[in-house]
Amino acid sequence: MFKLPIVFCISMLMLAGCATPTRYIDPAADDGPVTMTMDYRDFEKAATEAVDDMLASGAVSKPNGERYIMVVSRVTNDTMQRIDTDQLTKKIRVALLRSGKVVTTTAVGLDGAEDEMSARVRELRDSEEFDQAGVQRKGTLIAPDLSLSGKILQRNHKAGKEQQVEYYIQLSLTDLATGLATWEVETPIIKRGPNDSVSW
Amino acid sequence: MRFQKQIIAFSCALALAGCAIQPPAETAAAIDREQLQIDPEVNYFVAVTELLSQRIAQPGGETLLQIQYAIEARSNGDLAWKVTWFDPNGMVVKGVGEGYRKVSLLTGQTRYFTATAPHARVTDYQLHLREPQQ
Repeated sequence: MFKLPIVFCISMLMLAGCATPTRYIDPAADDGPVTMTMDYRDFEKAATEAVDDMLASGAVSKPNGERYIMVVSRVTNDTMQRIDTDQLTKKIRVALLRSGKVVTTTAVGLDGAEDEMSARVRELRDSEEFDQAGVQRKGTLIAPDLSLSGKILQRNHKAGKEQQVEYYIQLSLTDLATGLATWEVETPIIKRGPNDSVSW
Repeated sequence: MRFQKQIIAFSCALALAGCAIQPPAETAAAIDREQLQIDPEVNYFVAVTELLSQRIAQPGGETLLQIQYAIEARSNGDLAWKVTWFDPNGMVVKGVGEGYRKVSLLTGQTRYFTATAPHARVTDYQLHLREPQQ
């Protein structure tokens, strides 16, 4: 009578023992399988190539040696996946900041400021509760010189018994004084895999 | 007299100990780092035919280190590459990420790859070519 539950329990324990254990992945030594969707390696590749090209082009080097102020504009996700485009733009921002050539403003953005605190702390002016010596003065925020915008595209194709998924990461850097795109890049990421794998 | 000799001997011993060679502090100049590292698994099917470097002038007056290398494939295969950048003190200068870039090569094909240093203070680099595991 108890045989069946015991056999069941033993089977479950054995199966649990065979399961792949959860483990940390080191991005510097990740040879894991490729996914049809965009993963962190794709964003890293696109950001590396973009920053490489941006620095080499001289588009982010101010002639007087000062730093440019950049604002992140819209990066449209035109793929079948739910992508937070910050995964891409943050890597670019961090690398440009480290390069010493560009600093990003968080005080202005298309959908409002990325960090609303720059405006909120200015509401403390004339507040009797705050020492006015520490309150930000008028005219201290710095307007951006450059704007980073872009688009991530996805195209799916049948390739024989396989499917081919093409991603195109397009980025532009606009000089806000002139409205001219002073630097542009397109990074294609092409993947081919079995038809039963999903790319959304 | 006997004490005098002992004091002189002791003083000489101390002086000699002071002159002993101290282990040199590890400096950038002391690090003998290879600029090109190729894993044996890759070496059998590709040959690095060029490894060039130059400093490219920037509008602000700074220069950035840029490298270019060429590889010729003796057979079809994949490899992964990464450049690590170093400042004059031999310290690593971070780039965008730490991952390797994967490339596929066809027999007889020669491909050229370039990489630009993430900061003007980069003076040295190490290029590593390895076989992707998958």
